[in-house]
Amino acid sequence: MSGFGRELWFLWRDRAAKVWLLIGFAAAGLAVVFGLMEIAAQRETIERLKTADEIERAVTTEAHREDWGSAAYYTFHLSYDAPEAFAFAALGQRDASPWKHRIRMLALEGQIHETDAANPDFALIGRFDFAFVAAMIAPLILIMLLHDLRSGERASGRYNLLSATSADARMLWLSRAAWRVGALAFVLLVPLWIAGFVSGAGAPKLLGASLALLAHLLFWWAVIACVNTRTWTSTVNLTTLIGLWLAFAVVAPAAIKAGVDAAIEVPEGGDIMLTQREAVNDAWDLPQEATMKPFVERHPDMAPYAAIEGTFEWKWYYAFQQVGDQIAEPLSIAYREGRARRDALASRLTWLSPPAKLERALQRLASTDATAALQYEDEVRAFHAELRAYFYPPMFRGEPVTDAMLAERPNFE
Amino acid sequence: MSTIFTIAAAEWRLWMRSRSALAALLAVVLIIAATSVLTAVRFTEEREERTHQQEVAEETFLSQPARHPHRMVHYGHYVFRTPPPLAIIDPGVDTVTGQSIFLEGHRQNTAMFADTRASANVGGFQSLSPAAVYQILIPLLLIALGHGVFVREREARTLAPLLAQGVSGVTLYVGKALALAGLSAALLTPLLIMSLIGVTSGEAIGVSLAVVVAYGAFMLVWSALIVLVSAVVGTRGVVLGTLVFIWLAWSLVTPRLAVASASAAAPSPGKLETDYQLLADLRELGDGHNAGDPAFDALRANLLAEYDVDSVEELPINFRGAVAQASEADLTKVMNEYAERRMALEVRQSRHVNGFGWLSPVLAVSAASRHLAGVDLETHHRFLREAEAVRFDFIEGLNKSHTQELSYTDDINRNQSPEASRRARISPENWTVLDAFRFQPATSNQRFGAAAAPISMLAVWLTSLVVAGVFATGRLKP
Repeated sequence: MSGFGRELWFLWRDRAAKVWLLIGFAAAGLAVVFGLMEIAAQRETIERLKTADEIERAVTTEAHREDWGSAAYYTFHLSYDAPEAFAFAALGQRDASPWKHRIRMLALEGQIHETDAANPDFALIGRFDFAFVAAMIAPLILIMLLHDLRSGERASGRYNLLSATSADARMLWLSRAAWRVGALAFVLLVPLWIAGFVSGAGAPKLLGASLALLAHLLFWWAVIACVNTRTWTSTVNLTTLIGLWLAFAVVAPAAIKAGVDAAIEVPEGGDIMLTQREAVNDAWDLPQEATMKPFVERHPDMAPYAAIEGTFEWKWYYAFQQVGDQIAEPLSIAYREGRARRDALASRLTWLSPPAKLERALQRLASTDATAALQYEDEVRAFHAELRAYFYPPMFRGEPVTDAMLAERPNFE
Repeated sequence: MSTIFTIAAAEWRLWMRSRSALAALLAVVLIIAATSVLTAVRFTEEREERTHQQEVAEETFLSQPARHPHRMVHYGHYVFRTPPPLAIIDPGVDTVTGQSIFLEGHRQNTAMFADTRASANVGGFQSLSPAAVYQILIPLLLIALGHGVFVREREARTLAPLLAQGVSGVTLYVGKALALAGLSAALLTPLLIMSLIGVTSGEAIGVSLAVVVAYGAFMLVWSALIVLVSAVVGTRGVVLGTLVFIWLAWSLVTPRLAVASASAAAPSPGKLETDYQLLADLRELGDGHNAGDPAFDALRANLLAEYDVDSVEELPINFRGAVAQASEADLTKVMNEYAERRMALEVRQSRHVNGFGWLSPVLAVSAASRHLAGVDLETHHRFLREAEAVRFDFIEGLNKSHTQELSYTDDINRNQSPEASRRARISPENWTVLDAFRFQPATSNQRFGAAAAPISMLAVWLTSLVVAGVFATGRLKP
């Protein structure tokens, strides 16, 4: 039997190792099953919402077609961010950031920050997804598998004998450890690939995730190997390694988070709302030109129709909704930029914490990270702009509501 | 008795002599100190900031000029959830739920701008609070220091002579457990200081100390477990492996499995989805902006009969105001039904999660901690309910003014000319319908009531582990 094969035999005979590998397999298996269930539930929710939205919109459209102003005021439009096929592996920010909205033509800043969040206790505890297993649990299992490779033999008095009799002692330890790292990677990746094929995630994403996981395991292997070269006992090795796990997986991320949040100021979200609300409400008491002028600057094509007669006209009403957004815009942009900058800095700093880096990498692949949340927000903004572009011309020209025009109303897709 | 102390003191001496034990202890103490200071600074600021924002919001509302009352209904108001003093130990759901709600007519808005949304994403446990340190990190320290209490005697072959000298296994158990209990007590000092800081910022002393007691009980559970495993399992490696496995299962796996189980057992459709059903219900109630809506025919007939007049113009009150008032009341009833249903479902989910405390004392202590500190789901729900009460009160007040202070003729002609629009305004004295709002923590009794279940779980854990320990060491063999 070759040396390499013999080590596999040893691994197979090691009961503790088998138990830990089984735990890894069970954890990864459960995680992908929960992930698939959650994604399926989110997809079903979106389907139900789409149906409900269609019915609701048909009813309100029929009930409010006296003019374009009422049609725009009463109809809400569903927007949503459907999870990607690979999202089962990393549920990410979807518990904290909104992925569904009902939007109408009023000032957007008053609507886009609404969060239809799940139970806060869930967000507090967190989800058992593959990213969590790979980032937090896998290193612990690897530590349990590798910490007493040398010290165990040393304690049983075989270390010197083994080192002296094997042709290449380094090769011996390397292959022994390699089998274990490989076995752990195998038991973690098999459930991932099966779930990936079930959900249709596609090989590139699965490959990317697998490479990220392997890199993470290699990092921990290196850490463990460094500790193992010391002639400490297994216990000291293990406690040291668990201390290092705490440092890399728990303390470092917390420190990075605190540091990033302190380093980059983000305006209070509430201030955006407050600014927008004051602007919209003040407009009622301001001369109408004060609203129409900044409005026309954004929509020069509406200039010929921007004269307001009488004390109330829908176009004036929507103009001050829009101007409310314009006044809150600098704050809103700062809020968005601030979050993007925090994310970028966190991305750089998490090189100091490989588990956090891995979790972020998986969330990127799954489009469930802050970037994806911001992107969805941009899509909602674009959709809202589309609605405005659709409603303004007939509303400002005072055209009647027709079926032909209604058929062209934009949908979120 | 003195034998027990001698045994305990021997362990303490051993730890004091071990450089790695002291290093681990020092590291953990530093982490406790850092998280305590950071959390305390942050939440003391948050408390002041939100109280201030609340005052500003009220002043802003009251200082609005003369307006049409319904404009004020849409101008709306903000309420802020001030964190309780003990949030410096356990921020609980404060960071994951929005801290403010915009209150306006015809709508119940969600709490907005949870901290987690804008803050940097680093996965895993995210931020560390003193509560998290005590729940997750401290058990690892206890394991690192305490796993050898029996095993080392076995390894050094001192267990047999000890037993032969007439020291019973149970005495040994109690002595070793006392050693870990003493260590736990020392480690609780920072938490005690934090809870006393909580007392100085107005927290009741009973619940403040109860938080410390709950964490103390939790650490005793670990101490009892560690001594038990160390006594019954043969070798050091296996003891450590077993304890790390239990730690992993209790701290990392069970809580998240509980979440998965709860969301499968009691799926919640989310507000957006139930809103569609709500909208269908609301359509039957009529649009409160439109006094001509057929839904208000009965109201018109009743009022005309009550005041014995023939048309709404002749009514001594403003019919449009009466419609707004009636429709807001009906609407609120329906919205509250939906809100209550949603909250009941969330409470069921959280009970389901907390039930897993029978499988993991980490879940039990974290639930106890959130309940006692007043940062639990129920507190957030109470905030939502109190906010709704504020909302309905001032909207109702404004609608009353609309009915009584503004004539129907002025009201319907408000868009005729700027002059008419000015006539359809009422004076700012009417804005005083807004009550001051200061979100207060739940009473001590409520918090003890909520925490009773998880605390009894901890008690059962502790008792059964101690019984098992005494039983196992009673028949201890070298």
